[in-house]
Amino acid sequence: MTEQKDTKQEIIITGFGGQGIVLAGSILGEAVVLGDHRQSTLVQSYGPEARGGACSAEVVISDKSIHYPYVRHPDILVCMSQSGFEKFIGQLNPEGTLLIDQDLVKPRGIARTFFSIPSTRMAEELGRVMMANIIMLGFFTAITKAVSVDAVRNAVVNSVPKGTEEMNTTAFNKGFDYGLAVLKGREKKATGKAGA
Amino acid sequence: MTNLNIILFLCGWGPHAAYQALQDNASDIPPEIKMVRIPCSGRISKALLFKPFEMGADGVMLIGCEPGSCRYGTGTATAENNVEDTRGILDLLGLGKDRLRLVTFLPDESDALLRFLKDFVSQIKNIGKSPVVPPPKETPIAEIDELIIQTVTKYDVYACQDCGKCTSACPLTLAGKPFSPRAIANIIISGNIEAPSVQNDIWSCLTCGLCYERCPSAVNFSEFIRDIRHILRKRGFDGHKAHGGFFQSLMRTMTSQDLKIKHWEWLPKEIRTDNESKILFFGGCASYLDIFFRNHLGVQTRDILVDSLRLLNFFDIYPAVLEEERCCGHDLLWSGDKENFLRLARLNVDAIHKMDIQEVITACPEGYRTFVHDYPEHGIEVNFKVTHIYELLEREIDKGAVGFKKLNHRLTFQDPCRLSRLENSADLPRKLLNRLHPKAFTEMQDRETGATCCGNCAWIGCDSFSKAMQVKRIRQAHDTYSDLLVTACPKCQIHLRCAMEDPFIGEELNTRMMDLVSVLARTIQWE
Repeated sequence: MTEQKDTKQEIIITGFGGQGIVLAGSILGEAVVLGDHRQSTLVQSYGPEARGGACSAEVVISDKSIHYPYVRHPDILVCMSQSGFEKFIGQLNPEGTLLIDQDLVKPRGIARTFFSIPSTRMAEELGRVMMANIIMLGFFTAITKAVSVDAVRNAVVNSVPKGTEEMNTTAFNKGFDYGLAVLKGREKKATGKAGA
Repeated sequence: MTNLNIILFLCGWGPHAAYQALQDNASDIPPEIKMVRIPCSGRISKALLFKPFEMGADGVMLIGCEPGSCRYGTGTATAENNVEDTRGILDLLGLGKDRLRLVTFLPDESDALLRFLKDFVSQIKNIGKSPVVPPPKETPIAEIDELIIQTVTKYDVYACQDCGKCTSACPLTLAGKPFSPRAIANIIISGNIEAPSVQNDIWSCLTCGLCYERCPSAVNFSEFIRDIRHILRKRGFDGHKAHGGFFQSLMRTMTSQDLKIKHWEWLPKEIRTDNESKILFFGGCASYLDIFFRNHLGVQTRDILVDSLRLLNFFDIYPAVLEEERCCGHDLLWSGDKENFLRLARLNVDAIHKMDIQEVITACPEGYRTFVHDYPEHGIEVNFKVTHIYELLEREIDKGAVGFKKLNHRLTFQDPCRLSRLENSADLPRKLLNRLHPKAFTEMQDRETGATCCGNCAWIGCDSFSKAMQVKRIRQAHDTYSDLLVTACPKCQIHLRCAMEDPFIGEELNTRMMDLVSVLARTIQWE
């Protein structure tokens, strides 16, 4: 029997209440469980945060059963507000991945690389600022590859209000394409070919 | 005697004396050679040098006087340029430049002349027969009235309200030419197709489509004119062609199936293409144009193709290219030669189908229009999608993570009529222009679907009014205080550049031009 390596990933998604942070966490978890047939837990922040303060969703993904659902040192931190960033950046694993909305978060005082997307602006361009979380989810999927694309795409369709499936799928794809483009851009830059 | 056809253009001054000596001595001049006596080698234009090849000649010699001994001074120098350009084009066509030679002889060098003639014939024998099969000559039809009526009905020219909006919009009329679309329509309706004014004006129309844009009855005047040209040509009439009809000759030559065209041999090594790809990049005639205008305008329209491919490569798209790519036929179609247009279209489409291509990308507005619109309209079914490169770039850039370097120029934009007006896509280039970071981007007074033409279309009817239009257009560009005129069609560059060669006001008009894809390729970068 081959020993299964520890594939556990701890994720924190944070932002303002009302941005759909918890929904994003729940879609992610659903995709992992129903789509990829792995284990996942979600702990969401209750209370006054949901009325507009800093809000967060803690998601754990693993191939084995999860015994403790709280996240102490996230491997992936997704920030959609400055206060959320300030609150959780200290806990982020040194090898972890940081994803931010570039218009809402100014990543001050860190030396690490990060991935940024103007998800809120893109959502505005699509016509609904509410979809920033879905765009971020697409971006997350492309960058981290923590979960398969089709799984998230299906979970998005199943989780959003009826009648908005198509719009949300567009938003998800937009974020996903942006993520792929960012990765490709990094790769090109690394080989010294940033221009045409 | 072999079955070779070799044409000898022989200057009537020095070398003809040498030739005459051969004839007087009853020397064995190879019988394949058909001699045409000419007044000066410099008067044999590229069109005349090329014409024999269109007609199936296997070799052409141009024999002139030695440089110092030209009766007119510059004849030999002109001939050298003409021959070099034509040889370049023969090479691209796959006929090989060795089929055309320029040599000079003094009057007393008859022995050397005979040796050369024999050598040339044996050389051509080695290269072999020309693969060019001249398209069959059509006998002019006698009766065209019925066809004219059909065309008038097809475009519902009867709906003309005689309001004159077309004439007041027509850039030719505004340039001062006594030309009126409305008047042409009326004369044709009245059945007087042979009227001298129609015979002249029908070939002058730019088919730029501005009149259709303004027509309240939606009479598609450009396409109407195009079809009337087809009929007139069937009747045996033809218009005045620019550059001696060189480009029409070139396109008709390409209808020969067995030509081994080398359309892409010059492509720089760093450009990656992949002939297994399901995406094809269709380049167009830029390489031929560059060689033809090498000495006169010095345009580099080939850069458009290279930069387009560079941009595709930038996005990790490695398209196939069609080695035996032929002209799309746009200019033949719009100058009245529908039969040969159809031949070219079939050859191109068959070759693309054979490669199992799903999507054809082109950077040429004329090629784009011809593929998406004129091929299907003329019964040539295509089973692939055709995309203008602007569409594809916009789609890719919109995915994000791509930015543009600062551009130290003030820009303005010359709309290509085929894309902006005929295909109603003026927004496509503008989306891309708005992504750039220039010092300024100012539109010209006439723009988008109302933009005025670069001055010529399909290489016919160029005259002093074309020039007047070009001058007006360039001055409009200057009024925007821009220092870089962005174009989107190789022909726009050629025609506007032509006005800038004017010996009197050329300096005033001189403007830097660059195609939009080149601007993009120079500034695009991953962020």
